[in-house]
Amino acid sequence: MASIKVQNLRKEFVTSDSTVVALENASFEASGHVFVSVVGPSGCGKSTLLNILSGIETPTSGIAEITENGKKARNGYVFQAARLLPWRTVMDNLMFVQKDRDAKSRERCQRYLDMVDLGHTANKYPGQLSGGMQQRVGIARAFSIEPDVLLMDEPFSHLDAITGRSLRKELHQIWMETKKTVLFVTHDVGEAVELSNRMVIFGKGGRLREDLKIDLPFPRDPADDAVALTKANVLRKFEELDLVAS
Amino acid sequence: MIGMSSTVTVARGPIRLPQGFRRFWRSTKTARAISLVTFLVGWQLVIPLLPTALIPTPIEVGEFMWAEIRADTLAPETVYQAFATSLRRLVTGFGIALLIGIPLGLLMGLFKRVESFLHDFVVVGLAMPSLVWALIAAMWFGFVERSTIITVVLASVTFVIINVAEGVRAVPKDLLDMGKAYGTSDFHRVRHVVFPSLMPFLFASMRYGLANGWKGLVLAEIYASTSGAGWTIRFWYDARRAQGVIGYALFFMIFALFAERLVFKKLSDRVFRWRPSVGAQAPAETDGSAEEDLIELETAEDNLEREASGKH
Amino acid sequence: MATTSAATGELKAGRPSTNDQDQKARAKKRAERRSRWIWRIAGYVFFIGVWQFSSTYLVKDFILPPPLTILETMQEIVTSGLLLKHFGATLEKIAIGFSLAFIIGAFIGILMGMNRWWEAFFSDWILILMTTPGLIFVLVSTMVFGLSYIGPIIAVVVTGFAYIAVNLVEGVKAAPKDLTDMARSYNVTRGRLIRHVIIPFLAPFIFTAIRYGFSVTWKVATLAEVIGGNEGIGFMMRREFQLFSMAGLLSWILLFFAFALFLERVVLQRQIDRFFRWRPEVTS
Repeated sequence: MASIKVQNLRKEFVTSDSTVVALENASFEASGHVFVSVVGPSGCGKSTLLNILSGIETPTSGIAEITENGKKARNGYVFQAARLLPWRTVMDNLMFVQKDRDAKSRERCQRYLDMVDLGHTANKYPGQLSGGMQQRVGIARAFSIEPDVLLMDEPFSHLDAITGRSLRKELHQIWMETKKTVLFVTHDVGEAVELSNRMVIFGKGGRLREDLKIDLPFPRDPADDAVALTKANVLRKFEELDLVAS
Repeated sequence: MIGMSSTVTVARGPIRLPQGFRRFWRSTKTARAISLVTFLVGWQLVIPLLPTALIPTPIEVGEFMWAEIRADTLAPETVYQAFATSLRRLVTGFGIALLIGIPLGLLMGLFKRVESFLHDFVVVGLAMPSLVWALIAAMWFGFVERSTIITVVLASVTFVIINVAEGVRAVPKDLLDMGKAYGTSDFHRVRHVVFPSLMPFLFASMRYGLANGWKGLVLAEIYASTSGAGWTIRFWYDARRAQGVIGYALFFMIFALFAERLVFKKLSDRVFRWRPSVGAQAPAETDGSAEEDLIELETAEDNLEREASGKH
Repeated sequence: MATTSAATGELKAGRPSTNDQDQKARAKKRAERRSRWIWRIAGYVFFIGVWQFSSTYLVKDFILPPPLTILETMQEIVTSGLLLKHFGATLEKIAIGFSLAFIIGAFIGILMGMNRWWEAFFSDWILILMTTPGLIFVLVSTMVFGLSYIGPIIAVVVTGFAYIAVNLVEGVKAAPKDLTDMARSYNVTRGRLIRHVIIPFLAPFIFTAIRYGFSVTWKVATLAEVIGGNEGIGFMMRREFQLFSMAGLLSWILLFFAFALFLERVVLQRQIDRFFRWRPEVTS
């Protein structure tokens, strides 16, 4: 069982003009079969949080770690832009992140490509795929290493409504089947309410403001009354916390 | 044409020319053909009128070139041997330039200190006409093979350095981060992310470096050698045979075209076969079912255009 | 250090820092700039050091004269009036050649830009002129005209006008159609159209044409002098080469460089300023 632990996390960036505080004293924990969404306006440090948890950035102070039974966990990271190597085939892109590059890994990668309905693109280059398809490859890549935790940074924000909707459905199904821990960053409250059972709200300046449970039953239909109501409540909370731009 | 009214006049005079005929005269292909014909005819006609006996007619140049192609020449080397020699020197020299330039370029791109250290020398190196390198190398090393090769090295190395440095600075950080997030090793990332992303820059360095190196090589062959295409052109110059000089100039152009189309393009196509077609439409988003259209990969022409437009 | 990847693009909206942190950042920036200058100077020191060392210990004086000798030679050239004489000669050729190239090039370029038929007529030749090495023109014109004044000028004109024509074609094609349409609707004559509408619009293209045409020109002029001139910088370089005087050759090369820098900075910069006076937002 994987667990995410963030304690008194602080991150500063020093530019040539000034120093910017991206995260200020954030703390929260999550573990097990949970879908945590991290919500907040632009500039509130959500992506920085993910970057630190995945090892791309180092914290200025505090703790941020993801463990699986006490050891360092394997993370799958899905980015806003697919971040595929354009000069490698789809299959090679998935193989790039595997621990062992053998026939077994190749089979596994093929399985996950099939899972997102892109099995037939294994030998194509990313340049031949549409944005939505590339994003799905990115998701397949994240799953192909069979990670303990899935980190997702606004993965559907660049996609059109229809593709986004179908990918959300797929993501939800996979989460239900594989019972992983997911940390999902988004600025879209509706998306967060639809997918997650826990919501962490960040405010400007990288301050963690709220930590809510979302208890609605799955699967959730955005058109459903209860879902819409919850979304409205969360938005009102945003206003209370003075997070909505005026 | 500017100034004419916009209504179409069918005829300008008493004679009405058929539409097709007029369109033929106006077409651009005709313009090019007329241009070529005018030039050749004009050249052929004007020559006998000139006071100097030295300028050859197109026919004489043609005869010369035809003889050379049949390897029937008065020069010590046939056109094939001459260009082969020059090509060998060019490739050797550029190879050395790569060996020196790539590490320096890497250092320059990675470390600001190295960049400050080398910057002014690189600027001078880029602006230095290849002639100067040829003269210096010729004086230093004399009438040996080495002078020509060293000229190529000097004339091309700064282009390698600066393009590799640019390439290093332009390595896609988002892809490196992705690799880091997935826990890949440094070496693995260098091999699959850094190196491929440097390719366009290496190609640019080849383009400019080889061009400048070639210019320098020809001059070095003129001043410090006894073989090669440059030397042969000097041979004809000394012999006061202008058709030799002009004929060889045309051979130079043909050689450049060959190199461009056969070698460069093929290589470029292979290395960059993953690039999507310029201006290709992304396939319409579907709901995820199979059988979606795939974007066509770049054709060879697009590749050439992309490289020629100087895109790094 | 700040990153600019998409992931942390939201950086700017973070909470502003305190004065203390600002000071820290500014100090860091100053230190960086200082370090850059130190390393830049270190480059020169290293270069001159290696030069001095090589000429003293590694090779004969004659093959690589020490820096001081070069300086002395350069000084001699300047004070003896040779510099002025030959610079003047080269400059003269460049001026004449380039002016001719510009007139011809501008005429052809504008013609080509305004009329597709003429564009097709000239385009192949322009391409050939641009891709042929200047050396060829130099060789041919020297063969025909001998070691003289004319050869280099012809080489300059031939290489120069192609560059200028190419740039102007692009410029004319890019001329804003609404301006020309407006002028045409008032039945402005073609001459006035060109003078008052097209040419001012073309200014930046003309400038680019001059800039690049010029830098090609002085290189070709020098090359022409090396091969077939009887005076000028290139000619002096060849003389030193034939006399086997490394000191002389290096001195002239360095002077040539100073000359080139002078031309590109001073002469062209002034032209830039003049042309762009009417554009409020452009500062040179």
